[in-house]
Amino acid sequence: MRAALGYAALVVGAGACVVGISVLVAGVRMRDAVLLRLGRRCVFGVLVASIVAVGAMEWALISHDFSIRYVAENNARGTPFLYTVTGLWASLAGSILLWGLILGGYLAYVAHKFRRRATDPVVAVALTTGLVVALFFFVLMLGPANPFETLARVPIDGRGPNPLLQNHVLMAFHPPVLYLGYVGFTVPFMFAIGALVTGRFGEGWLTDTRRATLVAWGFLTFGILLGAWWSYEVLGWGGFWAWDPVENASLLPWLTGTAFIHSVIIQERRGMLRVWNLSLVVATFCLTILGTFLTRSGVLDSVHAFTESDIGPWLLTFLGITAATSIGLLAWRGDSLRAPGRIDSAVSRESAFLANNLLFAALAFVVLLGTVFPLVAEAVRGSRLSVGEPYFDRMTTPIGIALLFLMAAAPALPWRATSGEVLRRRLLVPAWVGGLTMVVAVVLGARGVWEVLAYGLGAFAVAGIVRQFVLGVQGRRRALGESGPRALGRATRSNPRLYGGLVVHLGVVMIAVALAASSAYSSNAEVRLRRGEQATVEGYTLTYLGSKTSTSAQKTTISARVRVERGDRELGVYAPAISTYPNSTEGIGTPSVRTGIKEDLYLTLVSSPGSGNRVTLSVRVNPMILWLWVGGGVMAIGTILALAPRLRRRPSRAVAREPVPESEPELAEVGA
Amino acid sequence: MTGRVWPWVALGVLVVAVVGILVWPNGSERRAERAHSIAAELKCLECQGLSVADSSAPTSKAIRADIRRQIAAGRSDEEIRQSYVERYGEEILLQPQGSGISLIVWVLPVVVIAAGATGIWFTLSRNRREPRLHATDADVTLVDRERAAGDTRE
Amino acid sequence: MRHPARWIAAAVATVVVVLGVVFALNVGNDPTAPQASPLLDKAVPPFELATLDGSTVSSESLAGKTVIVNFWNTWCTPCHAELPALKEFWDAHSTDGDVEMVGIVRDDTTRRVRSYVGEQGIDWTIALDPGSRAALDFATRGQPETFAISPSGRVVGSQLSEMSVAGLEAMLDVARRTG
Repeated sequence: MRAALGYAALVVGAGACVVGISVLVAGVRMRDAVLLRLGRRCVFGVLVASIVAVGAMEWALISHDFSIRYVAENNARGTPFLYTVTGLWASLAGSILLWGLILGGYLAYVAHKFRRRATDPVVAVALTTGLVVALFFFVLMLGPANPFETLARVPIDGRGPNPLLQNHVLMAFHPPVLYLGYVGFTVPFMFAIGALVTGRFGEGWLTDTRRATLVAWGFLTFGILLGAWWSYEVLGWGGFWAWDPVENASLLPWLTGTAFIHSVIIQERRGMLRVWNLSLVVATFCLTILGTFLTRSGVLDSVHAFTESDIGPWLLTFLGITAATSIGLLAWRGDSLRAPGRIDSAVSRESAFLANNLLFAALAFVVLLGTVFPLVAEAVRGSRLSVGEPYFDRMTTPIGIALLFLMAAAPALPWRATSGEVLRRRLLVPAWVGGLTMVVAVVLGARGVWEVLAYGLGAFAVAGIVRQFVLGVQGRRRALGESGPRALGRATRSNPRLYGGLVVHLGVVMIAVALAASSAYSSNAEVRLRRGEQATVEGYTLTYLGSKTSTSAQKTTISARVRVERGDRELGVYAPAISTYPNSTEGIGTPSVRTGIKEDLYLTLVSSPGSGNRVTLSVRVNPMILWLWVGGGVMAIGTILALAPRLRRRPSRAVAREPVPESEPELAEVGA
Repeated sequence: MTGRVWPWVALGVLVVAVVGILVWPNGSERRAERAHSIAAELKCLECQGLSVADSSAPTSKAIRADIRRQIAAGRSDEEIRQSYVERYGEEILLQPQGSGISLIVWVLPVVVIAAGATGIWFTLSRNRREPRLHATDADVTLVDRERAAGDTRE
Repeated sequence: MRHPARWIAAAVATVVVVLGVVFALNVGNDPTAPQASPLLDKAVPPFELATLDGSTVSSESLAGKTVIVNFWNTWCTPCHAELPALKEFWDAHSTDGDVEMVGIVRDDTTRRVRSYVGEQGIDWTIALDPGSRAALDFATRGQPETFAISPSGRVVGSQLSEMSVAGLEAMLDVARRTG
């Protein structure tokens, strides 16, 4: 019943896509408004179908309907409710179902937002493109990745999800948030294709999709950070980013997406870089599909290889067609897109954005090259090669530092051209703050070049951001007589893009500083302790108190209780553990982490306490990890702020008390 | 002129000095650091995407112990790395070394960035060479006329 | 340059096609499948280890014979699982005269090994590799790992997982024929 309902919903969804595509194409050709409006309605049909399909799957999971293969493989009677619900995305077929739902949602958003422009060919072609993408995913689900496949013999109990997917609450957040990001980039892609096909290149499509693009970017950023957090809290190897192929695959669209949301600002202001921006959008979308391909096809070895499947060829073909169509369209229309604007000066906001584009593109290139190089080398040479963390760190760090410098300096650069006087006024003090910070860092013991540069540039950036906020608040206080906090609130809300962007940059600085500190200093030690024995690592005293075993329907857990003290202060009892699940012979380690403002103490159980009451613990001290997550939170707040609607200025009855200070031309604006 | 530039120059000198101090090779690395950095460049072949330095697998522990032995015996970093490449093949190195196709992964990004930077530089200098607007005679006449009219309208 | 967009598009398209071909060739791989040992077809690394009963075994002492080398220890679960197969194999071939089997233990204590060997009735040569040096020389990548060495001293077979009797017999066969 549930399988039939779900499968029927998929068929209806695919059908709605086909009808929608045909009707929209016909409507554009014949300029028939009725057809175009009908096509719009089909989009809503797709959304309804995907909601029903997801509903059917969740129903099946919650009721433990093991006649469906997907439920039997990803759920068991002993699985806790949370992980039953999240089982929807525990493996391939279900996650495609989730992708379909989110895509349906975004398409419906577009159809709704542009309801008054339903007869506009750009919108129609955009919707068609979106429906083609949706059709592909529905076809995947009807065929090679059918989530509603039934089993001939119904097992009594299911296998349950992969152990790593049922031992932390982050499972509920990381995949959906990541998908909200990935799938969201379909929206600007749809409109880019719409613009290319119809030949309408004005900035209209940019403004139209601005909000959706920023939303997608925000989710993708947050999703990647959640993934890093998961890697840290759940996988137990002590780090948060391993340059794993699938991690890289999620980073690639983020890099081109970030380049895009910055580069559109030039296009809005000066009408330049249209072809480049279109290419970035197209590349971002293709990279999301490439990412899915790398994750699901088994081409590269990865920690994310939770599912093996044979949808690899399908994804590759779809990717090939998308890439070919986009490149073809760009080659056809590209030359007629050249814009009249020119760059006047090497030291200007435009040049800074150009440099920004170059650096992000270089980063994306490096990450892509490093990820696929082992494959290429093996194809050419026959012997295997590895490209791992040392390579990526070495190549991306200088580029990252250069980007940090741009982030600090560029918001203060005026458009078109500048003078030494302007630069001095805006940048000198923040730059000196940065320089002095570098000295302080060295005095306090920092020794790595890149690390100290990161601190200095971070301080430079923060000083610039603070200056910006102060100017904004002061301006309002002097001109409108508002009090401090009120002025701050109103200033930010009257220009949310600017201030939201500054807050996001603040978050980036926190993350950069955390990255610099943690890569320089992490320490790692292994201790073997008998019950009651103590060991001291980096100033922490650890006492092994004994082990505890607990059993539930879901798993059996052995944990080692360790008392942690620093000096004479007790910090608590921490319990790293190893859990064994009925569906797996290997135990899954769960680290125990004490998060501090300056550093984290990270404990893992290397081997179960065997006979003799001895336990082997791995002890790591990781500096500044908390600031990665705080920085991520700040970036999220900044993104939300940037999305806020602009405060309409009410006619002010207050008379200006003082001459308005020379207004600072608008600075960095991002997205919204 | 000097009054406007010297704060920047002073800052530049400071930054260069700090960087110089940090980059200057300062005596020999401690053995433990050397061992750690060599181990960080070797791949743990039993694990998923971890280096020998980060992994707690038995082979990794054995390799770390062996590295310490080789350091104590006075071998250089390169020799130690080579000993592992001879045993396990090039796969064990986490960053490609040697000649031939491995060089591509190092050289290509540099080439790409250089090409991009050159392209931008060309665009900038091309724009600078051509002034954006040329005043035609008609424009000049128009402006002169307006100026004259403006003066009399005072 | 006339029509730069077309040239750039062509360049990008070429790169994309190359990548696509590389991916297509690799789709359907299982990258987690264990690869062949790096030692395959190379000379056996020289080693000299103390055995449980106090004597030594070395690559020289084994020269001229077909040798099965099995790396294991007492706390590795798959090693327990393959023990019956090893015993059956050894029972069949211990009297052959040209076959030797050596189990090398690393990362373990002598006491535990001795008691395990006694309990399980293991009667082939067991050698101890306390510093894991032989394990590293053999480029082992996990446990259990088994190698077959031909009489001329070349590594002709390897397997990085539990052995079955059939697998051992096959390895023995290849080693004998290589000579």
